[in-house]
Amino acid sequence: MNNVHQQTARELQQKTQALIARFLKGKEPDFLKQHARLLDDYFRQTFETSMVGPRMDIGKNPYAIIALGGYGREEQCIHSDVDMLFLIKKKVPKEAENLIQEIIYPLWDIGLDVGYATRSLKECLALGGKDFEVLTPMLDARFVCGWSLIYANLLEQLREGIIVKKSRKIINWLVEKNELRHAHFGDSAYLLEPNLKEGQGGLRDYHTMLWIARIAFNAKQSRDLEYLGLLSHEEFQTLNRSIAFIWGVRNRMHHICRRKCDQLHFENQVKLAQSLNYKRINGQQPVERFMGELHGQMEALKQQHLMFLHELGYEKRRKRKRKSQKKSAVDGLEVIKWGMLNFDGPEAIIKNPELLMKIFEESARLKIPLSAEAKRLVKEFSHFADKAFGTSGPVVKSFERILVAPAPKFNVLNEMLNTGFLEKFIPEFHSVHNRIQYDEYHLYPVDKHLLRTVQTVKKFGAAKDSSLEPLCEKIYRKLRRKKLLLWAALLHDIGKGESEEDHSIKGAEIVKAVLKQKGLAPADIETVIFLVQEHLLLIKTATRRDIHDEETAISCARKIKDIERLKMLYLLTVADSIATGPMAWNDWKAALLRDFFLKTVNVLEKGELATARAVEVVAQKKREALRSARNPGEKKKTEALLGVMSPRYLLYMPADEIKKHIKLYRDLATDNSEFIWEIEHTADANTRAVTICAQDRPGLISKIAGVFTLNNIDILDVQAFTWRNNIALDIFKVKPPPDPILEDEKWNRTATNLGAALSEELDLADALRKKVRVYRNTKTGLDKKPHQVTVDNASSSFFTIIEVFTYDFPGLLFNVTDALYRSDLNIWVAKVATKADQVVDVFYVRDVNGQKVDLPGQVSNIKAAIMERLPAS
Amino acid sequence: MKKIEAIIKPFKLDDVKEALNKIGIQGMTVCEVKGYGRQKGHKEIYRGAEYAVDFIPKIKIEIVIDTDRADQVVETIREAANTGKIGDGKIFVMPVEQALRVRTGETGGDAI
Repeated sequence: MNNVHQQTARELQQKTQALIARFLKGKEPDFLKQHARLLDDYFRQTFETSMVGPRMDIGKNPYAIIALGGYGREEQCIHSDVDMLFLIKKKVPKEAENLIQEIIYPLWDIGLDVGYATRSLKECLALGGKDFEVLTPMLDARFVCGWSLIYANLLEQLREGIIVKKSRKIINWLVEKNELRHAHFGDSAYLLEPNLKEGQGGLRDYHTMLWIARIAFNAKQSRDLEYLGLLSHEEFQTLNRSIAFIWGVRNRMHHICRRKCDQLHFENQVKLAQSLNYKRINGQQPVERFMGELHGQMEALKQQHLMFLHELGYEKRRKRKRKSQKKSAVDGLEVIKWGMLNFDGPEAIIKNPELLMKIFEESARLKIPLSAEAKRLVKEFSHFADKAFGTSGPVVKSFERILVAPAPKFNVLNEMLNTGFLEKFIPEFHSVHNRIQYDEYHLYPVDKHLLRTVQTVKKFGAAKDSSLEPLCEKIYRKLRRKKLLLWAALLHDIGKGESEEDHSIKGAEIVKAVLKQKGLAPADIETVIFLVQEHLLLIKTATRRDIHDEETAISCARKIKDIERLKMLYLLTVADSIATGPMAWNDWKAALLRDFFLKTVNVLEKGELATARAVEVVAQKKREALRSARNPGEKKKTEALLGVMSPRYLLYMPADEIKKHIKLYRDLATDNSEFIWEIEHTADANTRAVTICAQDRPGLISKIAGVFTLNNIDILDVQAFTWRNNIALDIFKVKPPPDPILEDEKWNRTATNLGAALSEELDLADALRKKVRVYRNTKTGLDKKPHQVTVDNASSSFFTIIEVFTYDFPGLLFNVTDALYRSDLNIWVAKVATKADQVVDVFYVRDVNGQKVDLPGQVSNIKAAIMERLPAS
Repeated sequence: MKKIEAIIKPFKLDDVKEALNKIGIQGMTVCEVKGYGRQKGHKEIYRGAEYAVDFIPKIKIEIVIDTDRADQVVETIREAANTGKIGDGKIFVMPVEQALRVRTGETGGDAI
């Protein structure tokens, strides 16, 4: 090979290295161009000193070396391909191959990725006319060295022979290809690992704009975009800022990867943030700030590209079907061609700044977008949207109508965000704008996530969408205050802009200030604050607590207190999760959350355990119980004990009784006996209250009841509770033994019997059979209502509730509870009340595994088992 | 080597992970699964409509470990996942023929 050219190539390599080094230090703002220039120099030098060149007789068959593609545009990144065309006027001579070897091979040797084509002028035109893939790089053709006239010939003939004739076709092809590309690479403005070139918002969007400008308007350079009036000065500046930023990132990424690559992988993001000198600010990691800015710049490029296509009418054609001519009902707004909204003119805004909000409201109402011109005007007049504007009643009302407007596909809030108007209206949005959370879980920057959450909530109200929860649809439709839920959806993560504090609490503070300014009613503000502050409550509880424990649903219900709030919180939770990304939402989580929500709804709908009053009553009783502790050690023990008491027990048991029970429980622990009881004479002395504390066991109630019956003690009513540490507390109200003189003796005998029954020494069933036979016929002749047994599985998520309506007879309670015991059911709560001779027994039961009994067979078996033990009527 | 598969209640995952960490188990595979056993599905009723939970959400943990540590791991999981109530889950232990670390090609005990 030619040593001279190898030397030149090595020099190119050294110069490039030096250039890169300067670039990395931030001292080479014009890197891409300089990089292309170095290549140009190489080609010129080698061309001049070529051994083959002179043999090809440039006079007879002129030729030129031409740069194509990115190299042609002088946008040469560190490891970009070098696209070359050896253009020859007439037929390609054999010598051409040698020339290429001479000039290109040394570049390959130093590791450059050079692609080249050797074509005659005619071949270029034939290929370009047939294959637009070949045509587009030629649009960027730039003369490097050789015979310049032939380059001019190429441009001229391309223009006249192909571009002018087929401009519409080529542009359509470009636009379509772009759409396919976007579909394939996704929206880079959102993606975790965006593709800097091919994704939506990537450099190709800019190239496409440039190509279209070249084809349709014969633009020569990018700044012609402005000169030709395709972009405003402001827009062109923004565009340049965006692509300069993206190029900077791409270049550094090439450097880090040591090869050409366009996909910004996770592992490179941290390095790039460091290389670009991002610092940690306000609790935000450098990489989060970097990615935030990148997304912002790509979003800007994407918007510019979309607007460019839209204005020139190059959007996909099916979208351009003429909309039925809608009319704006607002003075100062008009519907222009292709059914887009615009202002009547800048004067209209100056006369009535409220139009800035009105136009979005009209857009939401009529479901038509703002025209590019309208968006431009919104940006330029956004200084009207000051504090007074943002707090004016009509403007806020107008915004709220946008917020609640159904928006299955078309989302006006996105437009408000993209034009920066949303941030003007709610300045607090600034801190979450393009705020990235650097993980694989949060797919979207915070501001986009907030809008997606709003959108998802609205989808609940739209036509059936099978991907969404049908339950959510049902709830959303019936929801009374949709507005409040949507405010919460819009603001729930607003606290994420502020350092590392708990964003829910911080968010609640911000929301309070924002909504107060906006003039919402205090009660409404309270609700939104609550939703924002607790927006993680349901999902956290559902995934981190035992949702099959009633206590979990009750404590959650007590915190939420209001059923409407619970519904809003559920919808917010689902929408928030869906809008976060696939890692945050799947069938599994949906099932868990729904189950827990339904259990909590149930608790709130039944009301008794979770009302504000109930919460207060329970808290007060706990305080009282703790007050009576004599020392810190005892206090601690009491506290632990209060923790295991069931919610129903705490709610229904008077504080004095609870204190007594705590004492009984302590005695049981020290006494080591089967049970402890206490017998109290009630005020009127006609009844006795017997409180029994024992380890819970299957059949405990039936045994106690049986022993009372055996001793002729009539049971008037019963309350039975089970604590979570498996201690049963059964409070029996009974008639005293008939003979008052020997009462104590009677109780002693009963106690002995009970001890024997519990330790299985006494066969209670047998003993009673003999006894009850004696009673059987004592009560007759009265008209009896038929017995009734109901099994209710709907009222509680955690218990099957069995109710027995019957009339009193000796041994009734024993018979019923024994039937339950023999059906393998555990009684968790019992309420037995006798009025005259009518008895209502209510039992909260579960099977031995702790589950409800809800199979149809089980239900009928239980009913039959109980009925069998009731006397024939 | 043994593979240990444990089905546990979702809210017990952190406890189990922590307990395993304490005995020096660093790696595991976790997935969200659904199923039922003795703890059967149930129904919730809301405004007259029934919402059936046929398959109950659970977490499955998979760990491959040297045979002599398998018992310890099983016992650790059992202790940490136990609530004493139905649906606490199950643990399966099965033999593993071979293990291979993709990056280095190490095999057997070195690969886990």
